[in-house]
Amino acid sequence: MAAAGEANGGTGKLESSLDVPFPSSREATIALRSLSPDKEPRKGGISKLITVSGSTLSRWSADEARILRVSVNSFLDHLSLVMETMEMFGP
Amino acid sequence: MTVVIGFEGSANKIGIGIIRDGEVLSNPRRTYITPPGQGFLPSDTARHHRAVILTVLKEALEQAGLKPADIDCVAYTKGPGMGAPLVTVALVARTVSQLWGKPLLGVNHCIGHIEMGRLITKANNPTVLYVSGGNTQVIAYSEQRYRIFGETIDIAVGNCLDRFARVIKISNDPSPGYNIEQMAKKGSQYVELPYTVKGMDVSFSGILSYIEDAAHKMLSSGQCTSEDLCFSLQETLFSMLVEITERAMAHCGSQEVLIVGGVGCNKYAEAFKFCIDNGAMIAQAGWEMFRSGQVTELEDSWITQRYRTDEVEVTWRD
Repeated sequence: MAAAGEANGGTGKLESSLDVPFPSSREATIALRSLSPDKEPRKGGISKLITVSGSTLSRWSADEARILRVSVNSFLDHLSLVMETMEMFGP
Repeated sequence: MTVVIGFEGSANKIGIGIIRDGEVLSNPRRTYITPPGQGFLPSDTARHHRAVILTVLKEALEQAGLKPADIDCVAYTKGPGMGAPLVTVALVARTVSQLWGKPLLGVNHCIGHIEMGRLITKANNPTVLYVSGGNTQVIAYSEQRYRIFGETIDIAVGNCLDRFARVIKISNDPSPGYNIEQMAKKGSQYVELPYTVKGMDVSFSGILSYIEDAAHKMLSSGQCTSEDLCFSLQETLFSMLVEITERAMAHCGSQEVLIVGGVGCNKYAEAFKFCIDNGAMIAQAGWEMFRSGQVTELEDSWITQRYRTDEVEVTWRD
């Protein structure tokens, strides 16, 4: 799992991305479809995009570091719950 | 034969239940109880649910003696309720729905209570009084909707009780409302409190402010005991609820009342275990919805903190 954060001089927004490898694309797709339906609790200042191509890729862009941290933190908690569920109840 | 598993975690109870054609096969539950004087916050509650949910899921399957292949549908609480706990539970429901290849069903929490009440009591077409820590509504069924005839215009009756319990610092175990009820039995003096019925609706936040203030003044001066206040609060709140329920019954010409929601446990210990939030009630509502052809696509399975009882199309009743 690799994470990188950098300030984007163009938009003035903070960005972060996470690449989560899964054993198969089926599991990555299950994770994607479980994690994407809920909207971010915070109305503005954060945008999150999750995509799958082999593994699961998430990309955030936020106005403030604090908002970015909260969103990434929640995502990681939720991701670990989904992975534990797959481990315990998968084939 | 239709077997539905239901996931519930919109407040401080996390429960997973399995129903097969009206029979509750299992219904394990855990409650997040905070110390006296404290309520439960969303992030702490979500953390509690997250820690136990997979264990409770295993229990639900084991106690029912079923394997995932035996389940026909996965139901979960879409809302209303607290955001973080709702998400935690929805994540597991969505994941197992995909793992097991079973359709998903997002259920309205209030309708879960109603459908469980209908199943247990076999009442024909009752006026429903839904009273809990998060909701207070008088509901009657009409033309494919559970219509809200009256409701609180501010806080729920259970919220009023729970927050008063914090002021007098009584235990939250097993629930603040239960302990208020026990103390009320020992009350002997009736303390006059505001009585705030507004037509078909009720208001509780003014009563709460008043009794919080009264508690500080009257308890320190010894004018009355905590037991007296518990007794007076219950009398006032329940009289108000009776009034608006009777008003709705008169409008509908109905002869029966079905009381659902955690506050319904008070004096009605009979269906105690099903009044309090549980997974089986979500499974039961899911069973009805599924058999009438409803399904929730994953993209539409987002949770929502606000979800009106009358937003749902009741396709399973005439």
